[in-house]
Amino acid sequence: MIFVKNLHKSFGKLEVLKGIDCHVHEKEVVVVIGPSGSGKSTFLRCLNKLEEPTSGEIIVDGIPLNSEVNVNAIRREVGMVFQRFNLFPHMTAIQNIVLAPEVVRKTNKEEARKIGLELLAKVGLYDKADEYPDRLSGGQQQRVAIARALAMKPKIMLFDETTSALDPEMVGEVLAVMKDLAREGMTMVVVTHEMGFAREVGDRVIFMDEGIIMEEGEPNEVFANPKNPRTKVFLSKIL
Amino acid sequence: MNWHVVVDNMPILAKGALLTLELTAGAVAIGVVIGLFMALARLSKHKVVRAGAIAYIDFFRGTPLLVQIFLVYFGIPMLLKWQTMPDNYQYTAGILAMGLNSGAYIAEIFRAGIQSIDRGQSEAARSLGMTQAQALRYVILPQAFKRTIPPLGNEFIALLKDSSLLSIIAIQELFYTGKIIVGRTYQPLPMYMAVALYYLVMTQLIAQWVAYMERRLGKNDLR
Ligand SMILES: Nc1ncnc2c1ncn2[C@@H]1O[C@H](COP(=O)(O)OP(=O)(O)OP(=O)(O)O)[C@@H](O)[C@H]1O
Ligand SMILES: [Mg+2]
Repeated sequence: MIFVKNLHKSFGKLEVLKGIDCHVHEKEVVVVIGPSGSGKSTFLRCLNKLEEPTSGEIIVDGIPLNSEVNVNAIRREVGMVFQRFNLFPHMTAIQNIVLAPEVVRKTNKEEARKIGLELLAKVGLYDKADEYPDRLSGGQQQRVAIARALAMKPKIMLFDETTSALDPEMVGEVLAVMKDLAREGMTMVVVTHEMGFAREVGDRVIFMDEGIIMEEGEPNEVFANPKNPRTKVFLSKIL
Repeated sequence: MNWHVVVDNMPILAKGALLTLELTAGAVAIGVVIGLFMALARLSKHKVVRAGAIAYIDFFRGTPLLVQIFLVYFGIPMLLKWQTMPDNYQYTAGILAMGLNSGAYIAEIFRAGIQSIDRGQSEAARSLGMTQAQALRYVILPQAFKRTIPPLGNEFIALLKDSSLLSIIAIQELFYTGKIIVGRTYQPLPMYMAVALYYLVMTQLIAQWVAYMERRLGKNDLR
């Protein structure tokens, strides 16, 4: 589903990704962990071309992400959820959700609304359809953001620390939605510090540090017996 | 002082004031369109497009409006090799000159508004597969526009006042009308006070309208 080979990314002189190789299978849930500044977000953002890789090869759903490819075509298939929600503040929850299907997929209004309401029901916010984001809690906003990404019927979902900006009591409701998605067979790449989530739904965990993949494997295995000393240090800090 | 002069000439002044409003409205319409394009060009990733916008903005902000009015007024007939000037040409030239000028200021207002929108907004839009243009149209500009209302209001007020410069090409707007009456009546103080009052009323009206728009749209500003 996602194939990454020798991915490099530099911001000016700062080399953030130093050769990432990684393969995500269909319906797989890959959890990416690592210290702050290790390049997790940059890696994720390369996968839907929010960042232009400096070099390397990325193939998503059979389409190579070279510079000729229509990036919008890729982004339609790859949903992304951000740490800071990034809901459109001038639109209600349902308007946030139907916008992209309407303007990008040219779905007609009734159909888009119907799908939008179904998605809101799925994330438990059917009755909040007509609320503006500033009237929703952080957890609710993030669930709307997930519904918004799903409305494009993506084949892959990227989550970048989607619960880090939330008050602790709201983390669970967002993780629950993500777990449902994983169970339904969505292909997911999830950057998170929620080790419980990684254990429960992660098929594989990738530990990134200083722009490379230091270690990867089955979550319980990696958490119980980290092979790389840096993984050990990192895990001892957060577990 | 002869206040009768003012009272007698109120209707003529009102006619001048109306023309002032019309000239300003025309210039605003041109200025907003140019301003939007220049702001987008100014933010373009293409160097040449950006440089063009910067040159335009610098020129119209860095030279006097009075000079620009003359450049347009005399320049167009020369460039188009007209033998005589068409009737009412001065209105077209006047509105165009003011529109070109305000386009530069409005471009900067729009640019600041667009840049004030969090980058996450366009990233979210782009991550949903929207093109740059769609992201602008549906996500960025609606939010940016609200924030530009107060500075836009200021620009409209400045433009209305500056339209008095058009008297130099014999457009009978408010100031020109006042000057003519003074020439006839030799009552400069009361007449120019009346002219000032007319300007004040009009600028106040714009300010009120802007405040109203701000309140109306401001209600969902946090949204
Ligand atoms: N647009 C950018 N321009 C310059 N430097 C950047 C840019 N984006 C990220 N960086 C730098 O790249 C490095 C990696 O950033 P990145 O956000 O990928 O890390 P991260 O692993 O996601 O960290 P965190 O856990 O804090 O989110 C950091 O040093 C950061 O300052
Ligand atoms: Mg990050």
